[in-house]
Amino acid sequence: MTTLHSSRFGDLEIPEEAVIDFPAGLIGLGGRRYALLSRTEDAAFAWLHSLDDPELAVPVTNPWRFFDGFEVELSDDEAARVGLSEDDAARASVYVTVRTGEHAEDFCANLRAPIVIADGRGHQIINQAQDAPIRAPLFGEHAVAAAAA
Amino acid sequence: MLIVTRRPGEKVMVGDDVVVEVMEISGNSVRIGITAPRSVPVYREEIWATIQAENAAAAATDPKALPDGVPAPKK
Repeated sequence: MTTLHSSRFGDLEIPEEAVIDFPAGLIGLGGRRYALLSRTEDAAFAWLHSLDDPELAVPVTNPWRFFDGFEVELSDDEAARVGLSEDDAARASVYVTVRTGEHAEDFCANLRAPIVIADGRGHQIINQAQDAPIRAPLFGEHAVAAAAA
Repeated sequence: MLIVTRRPGEKVMVGDDVVVEVMEISGNSVRIGITAPRSVPVYREEIWATIQAENAAAAATDPKALPDGVPAPKK
């Protein structure tokens, strides 16, 4: 059990089995040990919280909750780096980071750099799929228009 | 910044494990080959910078902006 002194959420007890190792951290943010925090099992948003930096946490969501046609495609090099076989990939959890805004229409998910977690290990990868914008609107007219396009 | 002059086919070592090779020069572009250990991700800088900025923006999120309140660890 690790105690996380989160600047956002106060002290939280993190069981060892909830610790996720990110060998290369999050792109540009670093960090090595993270845990996924969520209010309930089916909450729309979870937080990927660093266990090393009490201030470092990013909100994430399940991309398929908002984007039916979402696909992840890895380059061969990256697949080798991440070390995911086809079987592993089927078991992996995929999350995308979320940025908020003043209005619901400003909420976006980064479909270009999803986070893949399998067997206690996590990697942020570059999605090679054609339709994977950096800022995909989650709500509002933009999202409706994007879904219809 | 270290600046070195290299010809096509010549290499630069970054530490013991990373090799950067100038493959070909044509007009105003240079093809570069990078050999790095598997565990080291290699990105084009503009892609890295865009994702870094997006990650930083996500990391600046105030929990009050999201509806789900104080979370508990997910196993």
